[in-house]
Amino acid sequence: MKRLAKRLLSFITVVWAVLTIFFIMFKLLPGDPTAVFLDSNLSPELIARQKALWGLSDPMWLQYVRYIKNMATFHFGVSFFQQQPVSEILWERVKNTCLMIFPALLISIVGGTLIGAIAGWRRGGRFERITVGLSLLLHSAPSFVVGILALMVFAYRLRWLPSGGIVSLGAPDGFWQILGSGDYVRHAILPVMVLVSREITGPILLLRSSMFDIKSSDFIEILRAKGISETRVLVHATRNALLPLATYIAVMIGVAFQGQVLLEIIFAWPGIGRELVTALADLDYPIAQACLFVMALVILTMNFIVDALYGVIDPRISN
Amino acid sequence: MHSTESSIRGFQINTTNTLPISRTGNAPLSRWSGHVRGFFRIILASPSGIFGFSVISLFLLLAIFAPLIAPYGPFDVVYAGPHAVIRLSPPTWRNLFGTTNEGMDVFSQVIWGTRVAILVGLLSSLGSVLVGTAIGLIAGYLGGPVDRVLMRLTDIAFAMPFLPFAMVVISVVKPSLGLVILLVVAFLWRTTARVVRAQTLSLKTRVYVRAARMSGASHGQIILRHILPSILPISFLYMAVGVQSGVMLESALSFLGFGSPDVQSWGAMLNAAFRVGALRVAWWWGLPPSIALSLFVVAVFMLTRAYETHLDPRLRVE
Repeated sequence: MKRLAKRLLSFITVVWAVLTIFFIMFKLLPGDPTAVFLDSNLSPELIARQKALWGLSDPMWLQYVRYIKNMATFHFGVSFFQQQPVSEILWERVKNTCLMIFPALLISIVGGTLIGAIAGWRRGGRFERITVGLSLLLHSAPSFVVGILALMVFAYRLRWLPSGGIVSLGAPDGFWQILGSGDYVRHAILPVMVLVSREITGPILLLRSSMFDIKSSDFIEILRAKGISETRVLVHATRNALLPLATYIAVMIGVAFQGQVLLEIIFAWPGIGRELVTALADLDYPIAQACLFVMALVILTMNFIVDALYGVIDPRISN
Repeated sequence: MHSTESSIRGFQINTTNTLPISRTGNAPLSRWSGHVRGFFRIILASPSGIFGFSVISLFLLLAIFAPLIAPYGPFDVVYAGPHAVIRLSPPTWRNLFGTTNEGMDVFSQVIWGTRVAILVGLLSSLGSVLVGTAIGLIAGYLGGPVDRVLMRLTDIAFAMPFLPFAMVVISVVKPSLGLVILLVVAFLWRTTARVVRAQTLSLKTRVYVRAARMSGASHGQIILRHILPSILPISFLYMAVGVQSGVMLESALSFLGFGSPDVQSWGAMLNAAFRVGALRVAWWWGLPPSIALSLFVVAVFMLTRAYETHLDPRLRVE
């Protein structure tokens, strides 16, 4: 418990530090975002009045305090361009990103566990050699290139699947309507499979190596001595090999969440990464700032969960 | 987080017993050359190492002799006659990989792209390993408040989503290759720092380090002579890993349109082809940079893998 409290404290410190870095970045780096939105033909008094209205003429410390307060309470302000609260826009985008990430992670975890467990169990076999070779190849290949190639082959050349978007134009776009439609499935196949091609390698390699350790442990020998069938022994072994996977899943979510920017661009997927790219092109700083913070927060939260899980799974770490 | 990450990469911090520490005596120079020779012996002992080594050597040659190999400059427009730009031409003898929508030679661009890749890979990995090793050594050796501050700094670095963060910085500052390399360094040092710190923590309690301490060696001497040599193989490994990550991150940023406008990298080529929608027809434009990038990254990975497997025999696949 004490360890958890300490971890929580360090989590909050790091969130605060990250926020401060972002504040400095957006405030002190050269370039005045307001210049884009204020017509330079306006009189200086009018410009000053508008800036005061936005709180930009307040002293820096006051702006800083206000910024931290707003960010911590998820008040991200109003988008410059879309004239809509940033939190509303962001919520939509995060849901869309999840519509790509979670199916991919689910497939990767279930599929990767099965493949990795079998590969580790049959150490030295041809199945293991091929799986490991292929996994290492996919693990090291740049996934956005895989995405581009998949797009070129399956969408442009063969025309089997749509080239982008989350649903066709004019289709209903409520969250549950999207999730239940075959249209979404057709749009999701390419990006999800490309994401799977990278994410699945983690569980495969992890399960394979932890199966090695478990295979040679005493309790497996005992199970065998009891005369239990080989398949059931494999099930027992896999259950034990799953422990390290629990923490890895949290890592996967964090990594996928920041890595999907590229896939969202390639497949025109209206998620948070694509929103950030658009916002930066439009100089829509309230949105850009909020996107960045939400992405960092997801990673931090996942890291925190990993730390917390370590203690639960392996009590030796607690002290 | 680190321990899962490392078991995915398959790397265990378990290098001290495989090191040629005592073999080469005191002369630092012979120790260095011993490391380099050992590295080549290890790499060339496995098929994946040989593959990685040959592919990278090939890319190195292409980069060095780019001006002799590439028929056109990276931004040169190819003309068939006066005012007749050859746009979006499929591969021909004149343009081996065809041309872009602006009439630039794809083959030449890929060749020039190797220069950017190797430059980014080397500089960013060198920078990140230097920073990471220094921070890890200092934190691990000194311990106490210094360690706490440095490790909190590492935690902060681990919270940064690279691509989004880099995109924001680049859009506020002017994009350039130097900035991209700097950002990659700022992102990559964290893993090296954590691993080196953990290793230093265990090394400083070893008997030979304590013996050196008792015989009056200074902190500097202990770090340089007794701890650093055992850290080097890890730093070396992370440097190789850094080449791969650096090249991948640069091309990702360039693909998103945040790369340097002054150089023609593989990512920038893909960005141009994707942006104008040319990938629908011009496969000859999209394919070469994709293949070059994948081949380079996979080759570096094979090389590191061969080295890693040597450091930790448990990774071997019989």
